Amino acid sequence: MSDVIAAEHLSKWYGQVIGLNDVTLTLPAGVTGLLGPNGAGKSTFMKLVTGQLKPSKGRISVLGEPIWQNPKIYFQIGFCPEQDAFYERMTGLEWVTALVRLNGVGDRDADAMARRALEAVELLDAANKKIGAYSKGMRQRVKMAQALAHDPDLLILDEPLAGMDPIARRKTIRMIRDWGRAGKSVLVSSHILHEIESMTANILLINQGRILAEGNVHQIRDLIDEHPHTVYIRAEQPRGLARQFLAHDDVLSLKFEDEAVVVQTARPDAFYARLTDLAASGEIGVIHEVTSPDDNLQAVFQYLVKS
Amino acid sequence: MTPPHRTQPSLAASSARIFDLSLGQMLWSRRSVFLAILLGGPVLLAFVVRLLSSAARFGTIQVNGAHVAGDAVFGMMIWLLYIRFIIPILGVFYGTALIADEVDDKTITYLFTRPIPRSAVLLGKYLAYLACTVLLVLPSVMLVFFLIVPTGGGSIGQAFPSLLKDFGMLAAGLLSYGAVFAFVGARLKRPLVVGLVFAFGWEPGVMLLPGYLKRLTVAYYLQALVTHQMPQNSAVNTLMQIFREVPSALVSVLSLAVIVVATLWAAGRAVERREYVLDQ
Repeated sequence: MSDVIAAEHLSKWYGQVIGLNDVTLTLPAGVTGLLGPNGAGKSTFMKLVTGQLKPSKGRISVLGEPIWQNPKIYFQIGFCPEQDAFYERMTGLEWVTALVRLNGVGDRDADAMARRALEAVELLDAANKKIGAYSKGMRQRVKMAQALAHDPDLLILDEPLAGMDPIARRKTIRMIRDWGRAGKSVLVSSHILHEIESMTANILLINQGRILAEGNVHQIRDLIDEHPHTVYIRAEQPRGLARQFLAHDDVLSLKFEDEAVVVQTARPDAFYARLTDLAASGEIGVIHEVTSPDDNLQAVFQYLVKS
Repeated sequence: MTPPHRTQPSLAASSARIFDLSLGQMLWSRRSVFLAILLGGPVLLAFVVRLLSSAARFGTIQVNGAHVAGDAVFGMMIWLLYIRFIIPILGVFYGTALIADEVDDKTITYLFTRPIPRSAVLLGKYLAYLACTVLLVLPSVMLVFFLIVPTGGGSIGQAFPSLLKDFGMLAAGLLSYGAVFAFVGARLKRPLVVGLVFAFGWEPGVMLLPGYLKRLTVAYYLQALVTHQMPQNSAVNTLMQIFREVPSALVSVLSLAVIVVATLWAAGRAVERREYVLDQ
């Protein structure tokens, strides 16, 4: 299969500010992770790939065609944006159905496709609830549902795991891997290496508007282990969680913030696996939200740029 | 999964679907609540007039010392309150926000990453604006009509045909102002300020002046569609009659149609070409 995304000397600037600087790359079919800290140019790249922005210089083609002012290509693309923005008064089902209808699908088919997509993200039970009443994780999942409802060839997911609880996070990671195995292409962005690594080995590293590296970057994994990884967990019983964490020597520090515990760990893989098991067991109550600040990755990037 | 549908919907079909998606959002927005309250103003005024005229001392309403029948008062309210004030307000507040609301709410991404022309988003939202404003204006005008026309012995039955003409004029006003301000919203920065200056600075200003400038207003063409006679015995009215140059109804309708088509086309083109950078 030909390249899914091809950029040639692609640049984008906003007035005097450079968002993306002379990027030339090709992305193969399959799952690709776009990894970079906040302000690295991930969102600019995503917006260029999805045709929301016009390149200031250079060219970008998606699935072999230019994307800017080419609406018919959106039949083949599903986009899950980063922003937490919805028509709050609509139910999840109404919203996904209304968006699928924009793909030229009839009412009955749109309803069936929306239900299938909501089922895929395990949100069918809450399909008739107003989006305004959804939790952060449910909102993330309904965004995913609208992206995949029309069965696109290429899924573009901007920080899809942000704010999800551990179980939803694990399911979403599995889902993205499954799409890759099923022959779909996925471009997924994150500022958390651990997340991206759990989905794919094909990574694109971006910082300060430039692509630092692309391909199978296993070395980055060793680097991340040298830098403590911070995880913020908002939970029903943060102190109970903390007691569980303290039993393991990879946990370097702990602190409490309102209804949350902030943990520094030396081995994020092992930590996230334990956290997911704990959440699934229900021993320590409900875990509402798991996030990771991007300063984890920033330290690795600073190291990379210096070396 | 069933095979995906990949026939691009037409502009009309895409617009209709955007209309479906947008109407509910628009109707139940804070803007609609605020403008519904504004539209309650003429109803309240009509209610007060009706109360006063029902009292024994006031058989008919007097304007500038002259007795005026209920249907003429209704005509004045239509022109001064609705056409010259409320309709431009509705046009400015909804028209300039057709795309801006989606950008501010950051929901525009969902619409612009679908296989429909971006101009269909604008057109669908413009149609939703029309439906929404008609639903807001219609009850207000009806209530004013039923409260005001019977004062001074006016007949609702006789005045009813002119009410239908007034509805036509109001619809023409909503169509034209909405299209003009949709263009302002799509093309210019600070569209609300520009829209308000156009509606309440430029239009009333040049309407008072002799010459051709007034042809660059919407109000100039709308005034030709007014069917009601206004009281003529004040100095201001006499002065206004000197400069009053009214095109024929046919010219007005054609001109308004051109304004609607041209501004909507320009607005659609602006939306197609513009980049919308959303803050994260």
